Amino acid sequence: MASIRSTKQAALPTQETSQGGVRWYRIMESVTPYLLIAPLLFLIAVFIYWPLIYSTYLSFFDWNFVRPDKTFVGWDNYTRLLDDPRFSRALRGTWIYFVALIPIQVFLPLGLAMLLWPIRRARTQSAYRIMLFSPTVIAWSVGAVMWLWIFNPLQGLLNKLLAEFGVERINWLSDRDTAIWAVIIVATWKSLGFHLILYLAALEAVPDDYVEAAALDGASNWQIMRTIRFPLITPTFFFVLVTTVISVNEDVFGAINVLTDGGPFESTTNIIYYLYEQGFQYFQIGAASAVSVLLFLATVLLTWVQFRFIERHVHYG
Amino acid sequence: MASMVSAQQSSSAKQRERLGKYLVHLIIIVICFLTVFPFVWMLSTAFKPADEVFTRDIRIIPNDPILSNFPDAFRYFPVAHWFWNSFGIAVLTTLGKLIISVPAAFAFARLRFRGDKFFFAMVLATMIVPGVVTIVPNYVLVSDLNWLNTWAGVVIPSLPATAFYVFLLRQNILTLPQDLIDAARLDGASTLKLLWQIVIPNVRPAIAVVTILAFLGAWNQYLWPLLILNDFESKTLAVGMQFFSSNTESAQLWGPMMATATIATLPPLIIYAFAQKQIISTFVTSGIKG
Repeated sequence: MASIRSTKQAALPTQETSQGGVRWYRIMESVTPYLLIAPLLFLIAVFIYWPLIYSTYLSFFDWNFVRPDKTFVGWDNYTRLLDDPRFSRALRGTWIYFVALIPIQVFLPLGLAMLLWPIRRARTQSAYRIMLFSPTVIAWSVGAVMWLWIFNPLQGLLNKLLAEFGVERINWLSDRDTAIWAVIIVATWKSLGFHLILYLAALEAVPDDYVEAAALDGASNWQIMRTIRFPLITPTFFFVLVTTVISVNEDVFGAINVLTDGGPFESTTNIIYYLYEQGFQYFQIGAASAVSVLLFLATVLLTWVQFRFIERHVHYG
Repeated sequence: MASMVSAQQSSSAKQRERLGKYLVHLIIIVICFLTVFPFVWMLSTAFKPADEVFTRDIRIIPNDPILSNFPDAFRYFPVAHWFWNSFGIAVLTTLGKLIISVPAAFAFARLRFRGDKFFFAMVLATMIVPGVVTIVPNYVLVSDLNWLNTWAGVVIPSLPATAFYVFLLRQNILTLPQDLIDAARLDGASTLKLLWQIVIPNVRPAIAVVTILAFLGAWNQYLWPLLILNDFESKTLAVGMQFFSSNTESAQLWGPMMATATIATLPPLIIYAFAQKQIISTFVTSGIKG
């Protein structure tokens, strides 16, 4: 059962092994692959797949973590979400983060990678890379605290800077028109680097002969980038798109929690933050679970749509 | 005559190209400045005495730089505990992820067994499960196990979020030459011996990258430890940051706060500066393909 790919048969141990030893060896060899994947699959089953099932179960009950008994309430937790104005505000926030941050996280690093890649002087490129990547390697919460200080209305750098130009004091984080943009600025700053590195690696992997052939035909640098390099890195582009759609709202949680606590007037709350509040501040386990289930279904749907409609344009080298 | 015209043209084209190059550098330098500046401002504040923090003018290099914000940070907040918790949790999470991912990646790359495709799909499918979807049931489980405020409560439930690393390692193991593996097999190496003596030594760079990424991820983790670590001293540095924002009394302590943020920032920055070349070259050989 367990043989190495493209080798028809695993070589058996040398002659001195007895008949029983050979059988034992064979049994061991057929069990080994399962032993190798068992720890990973066990943990995945316990901490990812089982919670999915258990969340669905909990979403039909009224419970607060502490009470020993759970009360069955049918679809109440779901219908109550529709009536909750906080939930609709959270959906609005989720949508704004989506619309603002997906293009920023998918295209901005791509553009930057295309500018950065042709710089062949290794030292210069790597200096740029280190600087651009630096926000990515620190914690969201630590980055958010740096910006908390910059956005501080009285002593913060940003208002001091604007005061030089005669701009009146702006309460960046406590004004409901500006707060979400403050979070988006921090998220842009924080997430530029990782996708940049993925794109740079993809550009690096494009074989030189394609490019040289096009250059001989007189193609300009920009034409080469557009017609050869970009199609060849579409797998990376698609990977970045899919993972960004899944994680963008979850990523900003740390920034929201540190900068605004979801306020003012829930203007910076998104669905992740709503789930956190329901579950861990109001102890509405049923409601939090219902949000989990909806979030999971939405994620599966969005991922499916991307595979269905976008993946066909991806060129797998 | 004609040749002079074309020479002139080509020199102006060259000039334009050079101008374009300067423009590219200019754009990149501006963006670099914007990304780095919050760090500079953090450092600047961390070395400023309290009266300089609140001046009207913008000063990057303090007139009178001091070090006392750092010992003050340790005095006002349990920074030593937080640092130790961040470190311990990050090391254990990284080790745990390596122990479960490397053998699985090898099995999925090089072994055939009944259900191999199915199990691999099960692992990859976890990438589309947002982490928050599992926090309520996992919190119930962790509190039933009495793991609240412990490292185990943070580390163990976050181990299985490792599909990306399994994928990365598998791609790397697939690039090893088949001859290498056939040769070991002909010598009668068992599967475990093959993994330990041939595969692991040959994909050491990729394992190093996964180690670094896993360490950074665990060091920076926020939501899950925020739920599990409630005791003030049991928090990590990343989670401790939340205290700064929610506690108004500490709002006057920007110097010590920025000193703490600096302490939280340095380990990941140093690790990354040393490892960045390796990270890129591993991504190049792994070829991320959806």
